[in-house]
Amino acid sequence: MSLVRRDGGEIEALITDRYLDSLLAIQLRPSLVPDGGPLHADDSLSAAVRAVSQRLATDLPRFHPSFRFEERLALRLAEVAASMRLPVAAGAEGAVVAIRELRPLGPEQRRAGDQGDDDERDARPLLIGGAVAASALSLAGAWLAWRRRTSPMARAIRAAHSMRQTGGGA
Amino acid sequence: MARRALWRSGAAKDAVPRIAHLDRDRPLVEAAKREPARFEALYRRYLARVYSYAYYELGDHHAAEDATEATFVSALTNLQRFEERARPADGDGASTFRVWLFQIARNEIAGERRRARRRPVEPIGETVVVDPVDVEAVAVRRDEARAAWQALGRLPGERRQAMVLRFVDELSTAEIAGVLGRSEGAVRVLIHRALKSMARDLGEPKRGGGRGSAS
Repeated sequence: MSLVRRDGGEIEALITDRYLDSLLAIQLRPSLVPDGGPLHADDSLSAAVRAVSQRLATDLPRFHPSFRFEERLALRLAEVAASMRLPVAAGAEGAVVAIRELRPLGPEQRRAGDQGDDDERDARPLLIGGAVAASALSLAGAWLAWRRRTSPMARAIRAAHSMRQTGGGA
Repeated sequence: MARRALWRSGAAKDAVPRIAHLDRDRPLVEAAKREPARFEALYRRYLARVYSYAYYELGDHHAAEDATEATFVSALTNLQRFEERARPADGDGASTFRVWLFQIARNEIAGERRRARRRPVEPIGETVVVDPVDVEAVAVRRDEARAAWQALGRLPGERRQAMVLRFVDELSTAEIAGVLGRSEGAVRVLIHRALKSMARDLGEPKRGGGRGSAS
């Protein structure tokens, strides 16, 4: 095929392509042709190509699958989508917050800390705060249990302990 | 069909507007990437188009359903890997969601066709069955539509695919090029030749009142 002929074919194809752009746009929005007249096309475009293009634009239907198939596939896609989500681990409902690096405070920082830095305290992870509170409660409970023990051995130990604190003894 | 959006790029002194493909599906795709359940909106939007493409290619409802199902499941599971390349800087070969979706559909249809060779079905031109309760049959009952459909079915593979994507799925030439893995120029020539071939087949008038329409 010669270069000139090849170029001619490509130009023809380009003209056809532009015509199809217009034709299919009008199919979607008929208001683009206000008088309802025929679509203007380049004279160089073959009448046969124009005619068959118009015919195909109107005669080739778009099919829709059955409603049953559509809903069944939608259900399957929903199942696939659900399986793609990572399961939520216990305790992972809250936002993850980076824990600050712990460094010893200088005197000025300590003074500033005494004046209050509520914002930074609020940024502390709730999970950490809860763990500290739980630990404190456990220690308090153990101390209370130790104080309230009523066995003879416990009473003897407590008495010895109090005597040692007051400096007395037998 | 695909729309082309006109963008003015850069400073005002840049007087030459650049043409870029605007992916209208971008918000839906981004939502579906964040939350897979949101993929349903894309599914509803493209179901009929993908199904039609499959049906025109395979000529069998069940095979078309299988290909459609495989297409959407594959698209959903691989959505995180989809990268839009539709900015002006991306140049030729821009890939919008629907180009990517139809590429998947094309592969699934090819796979379905390979499977169908083991259990041959009628070619598309012979599958027009007039059934009073069949919606599709209503659409093709008219002789002209039937003839057009049959002529389409007689086209060789890529020409037929290009025609279905252009006329039924209303993709642009650039998008079809992306789906078929060809240049835009090659797709234009494919479609032009297909139209001339169908014009001869359907007995349309041979020539208009102008030059340069030799076949």
